[in-house]
Amino acid sequence: MTENNFLSLIIFAPLVGAIINGLFGKKANSELFSGVVACTTIGVSTVVAFMIAFGIGTPHEGALVGTRPVLDHIWTWIQVGDFRADFGLGVDRLSGIYVCFVTFVGLLIHIFATGYMHGDKSFYRFFAYLNLFMFSMLTLILADNFLLMFVGWEGVGLCSYLLIGYYIKRDEARRAAKKAFVMNRIGDWGVLMGVFLIFSMTGSISFYDKTVDGVNVPSAINTLSAMASDPFTWGALFAGGMTSIAILLFIGATGKSAQIPLFTWLPDAMAGPTPVSALIHAATMVTAGVYLVVRCNGIYQNAPTAMFIVAIVGAATAIFAATIGLAQNDIKKVLAYSTVSQLGYMFLACGVGAFVAAIFHVMTHAFFKALLFLGSGSVIHGMHHEQDMRRMGNLKKFMPITFVTMMAGWLAICGIPIWAGFFSKDEILYRTFHTISPTNAAHTATLLGIHVNTILWVIGLITAVLTAVYMTRMMWMTFFGASRFDLALPDGNHPHDAAHAEENAFSHGDAHDATTHHGHAHDDTHGHDAHLDAAHDDDDDEHHEHLTADYKPHESPWMMTVPLVVLAILSTLGGLIGVPYAMSSIFGAGDVNVFEHTLAPVIYAKKEGDSHSLAAPHSDAKKEVKHFYAAAPAPNATGDHAEGHAAHSPEEIRTERILAGLSVLLALSGIGIGIAMFGKTPLRAMPKILENKWRIDEIYNGYIVDPLTRLSRNGLWKGFDVGFIDGIVNGVGHFVTALGSAARGVQVGFVRSYAAFILFGALVVIGYFIYYGLKLVG
Amino acid sequence: MDFITENLLTILILLPVVGALLTLGHALFWRQEGGLKWITLGFTVLNFLLSLFLILDKGASTASGFFFEKNVPWIRAINTNYHVGVDGISLWLVVLTTFIMPIAVLSTWHAIEKRPTAFYVFLLLLESAMLGVFVSLDLLVFYLFFEASLVPMFFLIGIWGGENRVYAAVKFFIYTALGSLLMLAAIIGLYYLHATATGVGTFDYVTLLNTMQAGALNFPAGSLTGTLLFFAFALAFAIKVPLFPFHTWLPDAHTEAPTAGSVVLAAVMLKMGTYGLMRFNFTLFPEASREFAYLFIILAIIGIIYGALVAMVQPDVKRLVAYSSVSHMGFVILGMFSFTELGMQGALYQMLNHGVSTGALFLLVGYIYERRHTRAISDFGGLSSVMPIYATLFVFTSMSSIGLPFLNGFVGEFLIMLGMWNSSALPITSQVNWNYVATMFAGTGVIFAAVYLLWMIQRVFFGKITNQRNRDLTDLNWREIGLIAPLLFLMVYMGVYPRPFLDASKQSVLAVQQRVTERQAGGTIEQAEIKSEATH
Repeated sequence: MTENNFLSLIIFAPLVGAIINGLFGKKANSELFSGVVACTTIGVSTVVAFMIAFGIGTPHEGALVGTRPVLDHIWTWIQVGDFRADFGLGVDRLSGIYVCFVTFVGLLIHIFATGYMHGDKSFYRFFAYLNLFMFSMLTLILADNFLLMFVGWEGVGLCSYLLIGYYIKRDEARRAAKKAFVMNRIGDWGVLMGVFLIFSMTGSISFYDKTVDGVNVPSAINTLSAMASDPFTWGALFAGGMTSIAILLFIGATGKSAQIPLFTWLPDAMAGPTPVSALIHAATMVTAGVYLVVRCNGIYQNAPTAMFIVAIVGAATAIFAATIGLAQNDIKKVLAYSTVSQLGYMFLACGVGAFVAAIFHVMTHAFFKALLFLGSGSVIHGMHHEQDMRRMGNLKKFMPITFVTMMAGWLAICGIPIWAGFFSKDEILYRTFHTISPTNAAHTATLLGIHVNTILWVIGLITAVLTAVYMTRMMWMTFFGASRFDLALPDGNHPHDAAHAEENAFSHGDAHDATTHHGHAHDDTHGHDAHLDAAHDDDDDEHHEHLTADYKPHESPWMMTVPLVVLAILSTLGGLIGVPYAMSSIFGAGDVNVFEHTLAPVIYAKKEGDSHSLAAPHSDAKKEVKHFYAAAPAPNATGDHAEGHAAHSPEEIRTERILAGLSVLLALSGIGIGIAMFGKTPLRAMPKILENKWRIDEIYNGYIVDPLTRLSRNGLWKGFDVGFIDGIVNGVGHFVTALGSAARGVQVGFVRSYAAFILFGALVVIGYFIYYGLKLVG
Repeated sequence: MDFITENLLTILILLPVVGALLTLGHALFWRQEGGLKWITLGFTVLNFLLSLFLILDKGASTASGFFFEKNVPWIRAINTNYHVGVDGISLWLVVLTTFIMPIAVLSTWHAIEKRPTAFYVFLLLLESAMLGVFVSLDLLVFYLFFEASLVPMFFLIGIWGGENRVYAAVKFFIYTALGSLLMLAAIIGLYYLHATATGVGTFDYVTLLNTMQAGALNFPAGSLTGTLLFFAFALAFAIKVPLFPFHTWLPDAHTEAPTAGSVVLAAVMLKMGTYGLMRFNFTLFPEASREFAYLFIILAIIGIIYGALVAMVQPDVKRLVAYSSVSHMGFVILGMFSFTELGMQGALYQMLNHGVSTGALFLLVGYIYERRHTRAISDFGGLSSVMPIYATLFVFTSMSSIGLPFLNGFVGEFLIMLGMWNSSALPITSQVNWNYVATMFAGTGVIFAAVYLLWMIQRVFFGKITNQRNRDLTDLNWREIGLIAPLLFLMVYMGVYPRPFLDASKQSVLAVQQRVTERQAGGTIEQAEIKSEATH
């Protein structure tokens, strides 16, 4: 066991920053102070994270190159009976990769935000929340057990709530904040139940084998992955078992990572400031679900049914969100749906066992999506908080740096080689295709005679085309063509349809209350309305100002453009650390897939024999790896090439190259379609149903939220509580009162009848005991 | 010093009475009311400080597992003794009581204009009675304290309450008195049963327990006597908790009570019910407890979900918090009836958490009520822009109530659900483990908690100011902040480092758990599926 007490510095530095800004930020009243505190603390985290990850200046091997996780036990949090939850941190290779890109991208976004939030009234509050978020996110990643991970998991939910609702006076912001928290909570329920089941099956909730206070704490995941594959039937879903764990945890992942059916909060979350969208709702928090699944890959590999569900949900979300992304006019909404779609890809990867590819995509996505969001933030900043792309156009002339950097993001997400997204996305598609190769075929379901995995793969390809189309549309509407800054929009309230729908659903209560208390609420408000609005409507917020036709958008200051440039470089070159053998061998290079080799040890390999192990050194693991779907050994199928180059048969390399060519072709055709459709007519009308997001929000409200609210109000409260129970309580009272004329005239009529009842009951019981006693005595 | 530690519990019970007499005397002889609250505050603070001795110096444990025990004859004719003592189960509840009282006194520092003498006298007497409930080890004495606590609360609600106070006070009194009278009958029944079994009648809890554990007196599963006695006790406690469907007195009582009353009611009085169940029902009637565990688990789960759903649609903030209590106390019942160490420890911890969090919520509602004299959600909106500190503290407290990790509520709820999950109180078949299903249903309460509190927060605090009257509200003053600060501190401390609390109650909880899960000597073995915590 390797200990490093500096590990806690990574999480506590941002916490200190949050506390300083929270307590003294308002007093200091200085953007410089708050900005420096926030950025410095994240800077400390970043430096320490990289030192520990790569073993720079540490007494032990770096977490990313060593064989053992670096641990730090801080205190024992809960200990009851056999249950223990430590406040303990750990970095292995998985969390090592996460902690590096989260701190680094987080640092860039913090710097960007100092420029973006300039002039905001509660600048300090923003950075306090942002630092608190980093604390939670890093706790989530670095936790060495499920419960502490859950602390971070809930913590990021809270910070997300606070930051989405940052513009506290805007209706859609406060509604979106609550919606995000509640939907995340539904997912959290799954995580909690999953943790319970893990504990009852293994007696531990630790990620790693460790020794605390002389007590050996075994790793729950190791224990579970060593068990036999789960012989699962749906009838036994509630009897426990690994498939149940996997499904429960995945429910959590769908909430946090915005997958069907819990995805609708993420697009609404765009009501928060744009750096928040970049940090929380694109680069870091939303990938926590992927982290959880990959962290538990040993469990998932033993639960084929759950893997299958993950793959289907991922693919379905990917294409579904992409179709909606095609028709959005708010630049942030396009990116939001794109995020949902890309997260779908990551889960598709997990579902087909390509865990390394999933994490690779998480990382490249963090680069290019943070870039795109920050770019959009720069655009919004330059456009005086205009977010509607219909009122943009030709911005390349005014914002050259933003334009060029965003081009890099665009190429990356479309999947053009050599940009980062190409390698990761292509890897996912290839892995999906690989699961339909003959060796694995027997164990997957078919639909209408077609392999379900074939369908998944085709969906992945179609989504790739759609992605290229909507991203091209976005780029063209924003940066090309003629400027349309003063365009009058026919429908007025464009981006907020869903929000309005929710208002209806959740405002019965308000409306109802308002009628009850109308009288006095109204009297004195009328006269002052005008003054109230004037004073308070525009004192904070990214509010719209309608721009004139000759408005000149400005390029953003250096705090904003520098992070853009850095992220653009990462989006362009970042994928090169994970070039698959099939590609690198074209250029005569050997196996240069550093990313895959780094992660391989955290992907569990099922052994034929008695027990499991983390994938052992290349040579001997090769024979023992077997595919999670297949009963027969199928080397090179758990998503890691670590078994050596022999795994790459020439045939497979050929397939991989052909598929890569195909996806490049599709990406290019998607871009072509995008330019053809929107190059000349950027305002082309899109199908209404897509613009309305398939009306999912309306369906949720109409069929779940509204009925539940009505049931609670009219059925449970007014019907059962007040009507039935109190009806009995009062009714019985009145009945007895009516019987006993002696009680007439008493103000609270039921007092005596109650008393009579009590007396009667007591007499019966006392009588019984006297009888019983007499019987015994006599 | 020795005198204090030897008679600590008695001093704790009597000190508020002395305070009440002084208050009365002060009002009678000097005829001025200014110093009353200071006297009351002084005595409650002193009592709190004294109660800290319970934690610092455990005294000597007797064979029965109780500390600071005192046992002197009271009425020899019926063999009833003044027998008091604390163990791990009652320790924190005693401290919670003494801790909450000064806060309750301060919460109405300026709000009591009508008959202040009586108000403070009742508050002090209430403290006495509540402390008596938690430390009594003689059933008759326990019963007297249990009933005595009703009277001051009845008047607190009935005299200083809101518009509908008389209805609420009477409903509260009748509901709870109904339950406890049946308990009195059961206590007398136990006396006779003990007399027939051993020749000597007794009300002494420890003696009864010893007789039962020796096998001289027991109630095998399915025995009518055992069942009746169990339910006579359980009904009294279930109403107090309150367990669905006996909860309808609570929203009225809470809503109408003055802030001090609501705080004490929520923080302490509800716990008298759960405490009683764990102390008396589990140990005196273990067979019946196990036999009817399913009933309590089902009612607890209904209460959790039902309370949350009804809270969601309340138009009144205080009523919303009241219904949330129904939901939270459902969790406590659930944990207790899991019969696991995890669940029971969690339940005990959740009693404290609920006291802290819900007490704080009632305080906060009281603050705004003092300013606006309304609690209707629709009268507010956008408060965060005029009362930022208040809004921050409210959101923080709500997060504790919602069960956010690292705040107190999470630890309790987590342990309760984990205990229920690993319980064997409900049947386990090869197809379905009903304990899992029960936990899954209970878990939805955590989701709904977020819905009702956040929705309320959204409507009260966020957005623009919609009501002109709220434009000039002043933010919290130092008294108000200082008053809630200890509660906020506890929320964090208990969430981050719960071990001192859990460790102190561990042995006592284990003893009860062992007692309630062991099969009794003469008991018929019908419930083979009840194993004594096989999972651990």
